[in-house]
Amino acid sequence: MRVRGVDRLARHCLVAVCLCGLCGCVSTPITADRIEHAIEATFANLVRVQVARLNLRPMAVFDLDAVASCRRPAGSDVGAGDWTCRIRWRGPDRQRLFDTFDLVVATDGCYTATAEGDQLGRPTLKATDGREVRNLLYAFEGCFDTVR
Amino acid sequence: MTLRGVTAVIGVERAKLSAQIKVRLVLAACFAGPFVFAAAMRVQSSTPDDTLFGRAVNESGFALPLVVLGFTAFWALPVVASIVAGDVFAAEDRHGTWKLLLTRSRTRSEVFAGKVAAALAFSSIALLVTAASSVAAGLIFVGFEPLVSLSGALLQPSQAMTRVVLAWASVLPPLSGISAVAMALSVVTRNSAAAIGLPVVAALTMQLCALIDGPALTHRLLITSAFGAWHGLLAEPAYYGPVRQGTLISGIYFAVGLAIAYRALDRRDIAG
Repeated sequence: MRVRGVDRLARHCLVAVCLCGLCGCVSTPITADRIEHAIEATFANLVRVQVARLNLRPMAVFDLDAVASCRRPAGSDVGAGDWTCRIRWRGPDRQRLFDTFDLVVATDGCYTATAEGDQLGRPTLKATDGREVRNLLYAFEGCFDTVR
Repeated sequence: MTLRGVTAVIGVERAKLSAQIKVRLVLAACFAGPFVFAAAMRVQSSTPDDTLFGRAVNESGFALPLVVLGFTAFWALPVVASIVAGDVFAAEDRHGTWKLLLTRSRTRSEVFAGKVAAALAFSSIALLVTAASSVAAGLIFVGFEPLVSLSGALLQPSQAMTRVVLAWASVLPPLSGISAVAMALSVVTRNSAAAIGLPVVAALTMQLCALIDGPALTHRLLITSAFGAWHGLLAEPAYYGPVRQGTLISGIYFAVGLAIAYRALDRRDIAG
């Protein structure tokens, strides 16, 4: 009797797994919207942390007004792989700045962003007190929710 | 099936496991590995930049346990999960001890439950040792500096510690799921090598499948996705969807694995 119950449970679980697999026709959750939203917030937060590490005048995240525009160099604007994001933001003296990042986005929603060119500095920077600190904006990682 | 009977079987299994060299070696590696890694990071100038938190490994002691988690979750934990679980039933076939075992005063269900509990306890202890060791190594070698989260926000040491502990705890369900699959193979194949090797090969294959872009649900059905669900816990604010989903999928693997193992053991004609 008990064996039959366990058997039935196993069969139901297998059916559930197969059904979920068949429902897998849902499209990829890696979209330009999600990447833009994630990198805008991450970039703004990192600028704030970087400014503090360099002992510069603190900046509020909303002062940055970071807006990202992301596209995929190869093909449609969905899916994991290589992306390019252009971020428009306001620097310490409110001037408009533009920076471009090359992103490698994984299927789990985690990405590595590397700054194009040297506008954001080298891999390490000197703080006002002479300390050498890692340039957080030169290359950074982030993740966003692919389940939501 | 009685609790006393199951406890007796667990006691026997514990004695058998603690006498095995491979079990001691695995636990020693779980303890020493993070310290060796932390020491290596201190003496070399390069950092593991291709891993999440790899760039921060010399800046905050909380980054090191996450780098170790990122690495072990994909490659080492499937091995840890199946090394005992894959052998726990098949060893009785190898030594021809099923008849001896089942003619004692313990029922087949008690023997099954005791062996399952012993195998799960081993993988949980190995996970705990690795987690504690990597946190200790990070804090001793690097220090209590705040950690930059996966959203760029700074996590203060107490917050970072909580997130690191939660991240390690989140891999317990997939670890148990793989253990259950290894136990099912252990009963069905009656071969330790197959029962240890196949779950590891399956986990590695799932890792490769996860690299291919495709429908979201297909990825979520892979138990290996649950090993990476902790990423959401290290964002600010944290998101829990992947952990919830990973735990559910791991639960399915766990239930199906144990159901198959129990059914196969229950139907086996051992006395004949």
